[in-house]
Amino acid sequence: MLKLDKKSARSDIWLYLHFPLLPLETLLPKIQVEQAQKPIAIMSLQKNIQRVLCCNAQAEAWGVEANLSISTALALCPELEVLPRQIDQEQQLLQQLALVAYSFSPVVILNDTNVWLEISGCQQLFKGYDQLLQELANRLCSQSVTVVNGIGQNPTAAKLLCKSEFETQLPNQAEIRHRLLNTEIRFLKSNRKQQQSFKQLGLNTLGDLLALPRSALSRRFDSELMLTIAQLNNEKPFIAPYFHPANTFHDLIQNPQGIFNKESLLFPMKMLLQRLCQYLMARQCHCREVEWCFEPLIGGSQTMQIQLSSSQNNWSTLLMLSRLQLERLELPRSIEKVILSADQFIEAPMGTFNLDLFDNQKNAQQSHELIDSLNARLGINALSQPILNQDYLPEQASTLVAPGKHSSTVPGEQVKTSQPLWLLSAPAPVQMRNQQLYWRQPLSIISGPERLCGNWWQSEQQRDYYIASDSKGARYWLFRETSSQRWFVHGLFS
Amino acid sequence: MSNNIATVLSRQDTWRGRSQRLPRRAITTGHNSLDLLLHGGWPISALTELMPQQFGIGELSLLLPTLKYYADNNQLCVWLDPPYQPYAPRLASANIALDKLLVVRSKNYIEWLWAAEQSIRSGALLLAWTKQPSSRYADLRKLQLAAADSGNAAFLFSTPSALSAPSPATMRLELRSLKVNQLLLTVRKQRGVAGGARLELSLGETNTQRTDLALLPADRHRTYPIQQLNN
Repeated sequence: MLKLDKKSARSDIWLYLHFPLLPLETLLPKIQVEQAQKPIAIMSLQKNIQRVLCCNAQAEAWGVEANLSISTALALCPELEVLPRQIDQEQQLLQQLALVAYSFSPVVILNDTNVWLEISGCQQLFKGYDQLLQELANRLCSQSVTVVNGIGQNPTAAKLLCKSEFETQLPNQAEIRHRLLNTEIRFLKSNRKQQQSFKQLGLNTLGDLLALPRSALSRRFDSELMLTIAQLNNEKPFIAPYFHPANTFHDLIQNPQGIFNKESLLFPMKMLLQRLCQYLMARQCHCREVEWCFEPLIGGSQTMQIQLSSSQNNWSTLLMLSRLQLERLELPRSIEKVILSADQFIEAPMGTFNLDLFDNQKNAQQSHELIDSLNARLGINALSQPILNQDYLPEQASTLVAPGKHSSTVPGEQVKTSQPLWLLSAPAPVQMRNQQLYWRQPLSIISGPERLCGNWWQSEQQRDYYIASDSKGARYWLFRETSSQRWFVHGLFS
Repeated sequence: MSNNIATVLSRQDTWRGRSQRLPRRAITTGHNSLDLLLHGGWPISALTELMPQQFGIGELSLLLPTLKYYADNNQLCVWLDPPYQPYAPRLASANIALDKLLVVRSKNYIEWLWAAEQSIRSGALLLAWTKQPSSRYADLRKLQLAAADSGNAAFLFSTPSALSAPSPATMRLELRSLKVNQLLLTVRKQRGVAGGARLELSLGETNTQRTDLALLPADRHRTYPIQQLNN
C-alpha cells in the first residue's frame, strides 16, 4: 500500500497516463484506427443498455460520442461499425503499458483504465525530466496506442490536470499549482447535486473551492469530496497498491483470420519475444526456458520448448532459436493463437558489461550460443558430452550425457596402462577362425592381459583386457570374459 | 580481352604460379617432425582433410594436443558424427577438459553440413567425420570459407578414396600405418607447396609386455584346487 506523507509529497511529480481509445486500440492497431475510412465505435453494456464507449474520429464527425446509446448512435450514423468491448484483451494491453511505465519508475499505480507513475526520483537516469517524458511518449507510442497525460503533485491532481495531448515539457511547481487552481470545477468528480451546489455558491474553478474554509465545506459536502480535496492539498495520502510485474510471463497474439505459413508466424513471435524481454528487463531477470504454444482454430495445439544453455535476455537470439526449432515442427494448417509463456527466471547478473580484457568470456558465450542453436536445429538428442564416472567397467566409466548436465570433471587418476580413444557403444563379439581372433580381419595379441573386476554385487563381470593389432597396424582393445571364455572387441586405439 | 584478364588478375582467389604464399598462422601439432613437415603445424583459418586408411591407426591421437589447446582456451571442440564413442578416461588422462567436448550426431547430410558450418563460425574446433564416400566440392568450399572467416582450425576425416576427387581443403594428409604405432603421413595437398612430402612418425613405444595369467588377481569363475590355495 502506498502512503504519501506530507513532507515527501511536496517534491513528488505524478504523471497520469490516460488512453482514450484503449478499447478500440485493443482490437485494432493505432495506425488502422487512424486510417480507417469508416466510422467505428466500441460498445459496452452499462445499466442494461448498450452504450458507445469510445469511437474513432470518423464516427465523431457524424456526431457519435461516448455514452450515447447504440440505437441513437446508429440513428446518427447508419454506417457505424459497432464492435463489442474485449475486457480481457484490454486489461492485458494495459498490463503491458504499465510494464513500460515500470521501466521508467518503480512507483507505478494501475487501475482499471489508467496508469499513474511517480517520476521525481528518476530524472538523473534519463538526464532530465523532459528527456524522460519524451522517451516515455516514444515508448508508449511504439505500443501503438494513443496516450495523453496529466502532471500534478499528487495522483488526484494529475488526473484532474489531464490534457488532450501528451505533454513532454515538465511545468514548474508554481505552474502546476496555477493550473490546478484554474481548473474548471465541473471536471471534479462529483454528483449532479454537488455540481448544483457549486453553481449556487458561485464556484467556477477549483481555486474557488479550495479557498473556502474547510469546516464550511464539510458541512455542505460529503466525506468523499472532502477526501478528494484533502488529497489535492497533499493533506491525505492517495491509497492504492503499487504495480508489480506478474511472477510468470504469459502472453498471446490472436489472429482471427489464421496464419497459414511459418514465415508469417515469425512476426507475432517477434512481437511476443520483445514483450518478454521488456518484462524480463522490468523484473531484472533472465530466462532459461520459454515455451511456445500454437493453437489452431480447430484441433489440438502444438507446443515447442526453447531451452537455453545460459540464461539471457535477448529477443533476437530467442527468435533465431525459435525459428530454427520451428523448422522441425509439424504445425496445424492454420494457427489462430500464438502463446508465449515463461516461468523459469533467474536473477540477471549484475554488471552485464564485459569488462574482461581477455576473450575467455567471449569464448564461453560463443560456446553457449553454439550449443543452443545446434540444440534448436538438430534436437536435444543429437548432442552429448562425454563424462567420466568412477567405475571399473569401461562402458560405465565413460558415458555420454546431455550438454549442460556436466558436473565438474572427476580428476582422473593417471592410468598406467594404455587406453583407447574410441569405445564401441556395445562390445562386439570376436570370432575364432583357425585358432586366430577375427573381427573384420585377423587380429593378433600384442600385450596384456589386465584383469578388470567390476560390479560383483550386480553381475559377476570379470574381464581380461588385451591389446591386439591387425596386419595393417591398427590397434584394438579386446577382452575375454572369464566366465564364458568369449572374446569381444571393446575399443580402438586411434 | 586484356580488360578481362585484368579483372581476373585483380580477383583475390586467382592463383598465379609465382606466389609462394604459405598459410601465415599455424598451431603446433605437438610433434616436432610433423610441425616441420607442415611448415609450422596445423593451419588455422583453414580446413584440413585427414584421410586415414582405416580407423584405429592413431589418426585421432595426432590431434590430442590440438584438442587440449582449444579446450584450455575455453573453446568448444565439436565432434561431428564420430564413428565410435569417445572414451572419457583416455581424454581425461590427456588433461582435456571433458565439458569442452561436444559430440553431435546428425540425421542427414544437410544437418551435417549445417552443424559443421555453424560450429566453425561459432569459434569452435571442428572434428568432422563424413558418412558418405565423397562430399560435394561446393559444400566443402563452404566449410573452407567458414574456417577462413572464423580463424579456427577445422578437421575433416574422410577415406583415402576421397583422394580421387578434388577438395577445397587447404591441406590434405593421407595417413597410413606401417606397423603398430608407426604412421606414414603423405601430404597430398598443401597451399603454396608442392604435395608429396612424406613423414614416418612414431607414436610412442609399443608395449608388448605379456602378463602371466597366474599373476593376475584371482579368477572368480575358476574353482581352484584346495591344496593350491593352501600354498
